[in-house]
Amino acid sequence: MIELLAQTCLNAVYAASYISLVAVGLVLIFGVMGVINFAHGELFMAGAYAVVTFYADLHLPFLVAVALGLVFVGCLGLLMERALFRPLRDNPLGGLVASIGFLMILQALAVLGYGVRMEHIPPVTQEVIVFSDKVRLPLSRLFVIIAAVVLLGALWYFLKRTKFGWALRASAQDPEAAELQGISINQTARIAMFIGAGLAGIAGALTAPLVSVNPHMGHSVIVTAFIVIIVGGVGSLEGAVLASVVYAVVHTFVTTFYDGVIADIVGLSLMLLVLIVKPTGLFGSADRA
Amino acid sequence: MLLELKGVSAAYGKITAIRDISMTVDQGQIVTIIGGNGAGKTTTLRAMSGMLPVTAGEITFEGKRIDGLPASKVVAHGIAHVPEGRRIFPDMTVEENLRTGAFLRKDMDAIATDLATVYRKFPRLQERRGQRAQTLSGGEQQMLAIGRALMSKPRLLLMDEPSMGLAPVIVDEIAEIIREINQQQGLAVVLVEQNAELALELADHAYVLETGNCNLNGPASELHENDHVRAAYLGI
Ligand SMILES: Nc1ncnc2c1ncn2[C@@H]1O[C@H](COP(=O)(O)OP(=O)(O)OP(=O)(O)O)[C@@H](O)[C@H]1O
Ligand SMILES: [Mg+2]
Repeated sequence: MIELLAQTCLNAVYAASYISLVAVGLVLIFGVMGVINFAHGELFMAGAYAVVTFYADLHLPFLVAVALGLVFVGCLGLLMERALFRPLRDNPLGGLVASIGFLMILQALAVLGYGVRMEHIPPVTQEVIVFSDKVRLPLSRLFVIIAAVVLLGALWYFLKRTKFGWALRASAQDPEAAELQGISINQTARIAMFIGAGLAGIAGALTAPLVSVNPHMGHSVIVTAFIVIIVGGVGSLEGAVLASVVYAVVHTFVTTFYDGVIADIVGLSLMLLVLIVKPTGLFGSADRA
Repeated sequence: MLLELKGVSAAYGKITAIRDISMTVDQGQIVTIIGGNGAGKTTTLRAMSGMLPVTAGEITFEGKRIDGLPASKVVAHGIAHVPEGRRIFPDMTVEENLRTGAFLRKDMDAIATDLATVYRKFPRLQERRGQRAQTLSGGEQQMLAIGRALMSKPRLLLMDEPSMGLAPVIVDEIAEIIREINQQQGLAVVLVEQNAELALELADHAYVLETGNCNLNGPASELHENDHVRAAYLGI
């Protein structure tokens, strides 16, 4: 029993890792751009297909493929900023609607390019860290955990300790006042979109060998990310990370001890409960990016 | 001449808020714009700092045209704007707010010196340097907004109702600070105020705005004795 608990905890840490990468990017984009990016799940999907292309098809080293995925999806973010969100900045629902359109385009492109089948990606490593007979952590999952800790740590450092990080937070909190300090909102929007999209892309790229890659895989990712950012408090990065952990623990344990469908229901109920008890989320709206 | 507005108009959508405004600010001067609610004082400052495009006229600063530039470029020319309602960054610390004021500057050593100067001027900000700005009192927030503007090393400071919502003691303190900044650093100031008594006392020159038009201006001491100004703005 202890072993099963330990194993489930490891699984939860892994799930929390990639969920928080996706959710933090979504919150960052919302904070700086004021846009709920519905295409965020498809950016995750695009990262996974980068690994299909560069690693499985072109046989580049896995880490190179992941890095290319990060850059490629980051650039997709830049494209969205320039082509969709900037022209629609004064339209409160414009960005959201445009991002739904972009989601469909990305899905259609994935179907066109790769078909609707599930992609087979050769495992990156078969190595497993064996803690005991029943407690094991595949190395490829450890990669995801390490990447999440390093990337989120780097993002925290960037936002709290660097001038451009302050600029990003300033334009999230008061875009006009930020402009008065010489901060161009076009520039902060580009930075936020590159980072936000890039984080989704790298999460998709790192988990590609561990999940089933298909053109519709973004759907469950975005639903999870929405639950997480609502539970954490829309606009709070710390909240998104914390809520990712809470959600991953609950979801993983329910999946292990009951089944996946019940786990999804429990996840959604958790969100409703938070909305009823504390509508601003665990970290409230005071704690913005 | 530091700043000159020639026949400036500005609008929100189709509604013209200020019409054909001309004014000048000289080196080292304090110029005030007084007027009632909705007269167009904030709009005039927003036009100066590039937050609102002008629909007619020209704005020159140190001989260079600055109308048409976005706000983020106007700061680089040496104009800092302390906006109405302070607009500090609520979830950033006092020090992060101040350093963000120096966003465009590259001279790290001089930034450190200027930060020390701001802290000397506002010891209460130094005590609270790691505190989130939204936890400051109204007076402290106003000081932070002024300090943030000073961190850009401006040659002209635009201030929109710095006395708004503050207790009389704090208003006096802020007034003293404005005078000090002007005299010690030779910084020119455009001061927008509802508190006309205070504004006319501080300023060298004054402009009176009424429903978007400016038909009256003169040395502040003269306007203080003007019958219309006394009746309409000084309540005498
Ligand atoms: N964002 C806006 N959209 C539309 N109209 C506006 C906007 N801001 C101001 N106005 C209008 O422009 C005119 C001038 O407003 P402004 O804010 O410049 O006045 P003010 O002199 O600063 O007043 P107050 O002393 O109340 O701050 C007013 O008629 C106001 O209704
Ligand atoms: Mg005003």
